[in-house]
Amino acid sequence: GDGRAAAKTANDLVSYKSVNELPPPRGMTIQIDQKHDAILVPVYGIMVPFHVATVKTVTSQQETNRNCCIRIVFNVPGTPFTPHDANSLKNQSAIYLKEVSFRSKDSRHISEVVGLIKTLRRNVMARESERAERAT
Amino acid sequence: DGHLFNSISLGGRGGSNPGQLKVHSGGIVWKKQGGGKAVEVDKSTFLELTWMKVPRSNQLGVRTKDGLNYKFTGFRDQDVASLTTFFQSSLGTTPQEKQLSVSGKNWGEVDLNENTLTFLVGAKQAFEISLTDVAQTQLQGKNDVLLEFHVDDTTGANEKDSLMEISFHIPNSNTQFVGDESNP
Repeated sequence: GDGRAAAKTANDLVSYKSVNELPPPRGMTIQIDQKHDAILVPVYGIMVPFHVATVKTVTSQQETNRNCCIRIVFNVPGTPFTPHDANSLKNQSAIYLKEVSFRSKDSRHISEVVGLIKTLRRNVMARESERAERAT
Repeated sequence: DGHLFNSISLGGRGGSNPGQLKVHSGGIVWKKQGGGKAVEVDKSTFLELTWMKVPRSNQLGVRTKDGLNYKFTGFRDQDVASLTTFFQSSLGTTPQEKQLSVSGKNWGEVDLNENTLTFLVGAKQAFEISLTDVAQTQLQGKNDVLLEFHVDDTTGANEKDSLMEISFHIPNSNTQFVGDESNP
């Protein structure tokens, strides 16, 4: 059990309950699933989902005319204002994925992805803090 | 003798390549669409076979005694059933079932086995990376390990986004990795 029975708080966000809920892969490119608050990144032939609430920052950088780079930094314990403090106490032995970067040949796609992640993250954070406020 | 599948892709760091996979009584042969790369795995070098359900497909993992780990994606559910029977009857091996983590969490466990690093969330696999593709590892600060991948523009040329770097944060409270075990 991965906390499904526990009360749903901002710390217990789950993107998908089963593999069948994931969107069909559109090539092996980074995808945003707004319906499930998820970012899907291609790692060794599989689209790996991350809940947008685990994302701390996302940036892109133009490398050359052809290539650009996207860097996604995730929340880890020990950084100020991390929303995962409750979790980091629960998961003392856990290892965190901190960062992934991808090189892309499509800078338009990358800037679209960066924009979508930022918007989704803002919306989810606003929704969750509203929910937390209502709960108190 | 054997089974032939026409749209099976081989997954790697730079993405995945479409191709054709043949499973026969001697092992597995995969050929890249349009020629070029081919992979042949003799059954005598099988260490472990795994099935994992992935979005809209199934993935066959082939781990060899040489420390290689191939991932073939594109099998339908009925292919899994017929291939499992074939693996058992003709190759004398039973694939293990693995589950993919889809919860979206970024914390879990890291398992190092031969040349494969597996990130597990709640005992399910979130992703695997091959350490043979890692060009360099760097310790950043006291708690972060950065893995940089080889830059290879020839693989996954048809892919738009390919993984370049990945880093893990290992809190002090973690006792699994001490010393430089995480720097293979």
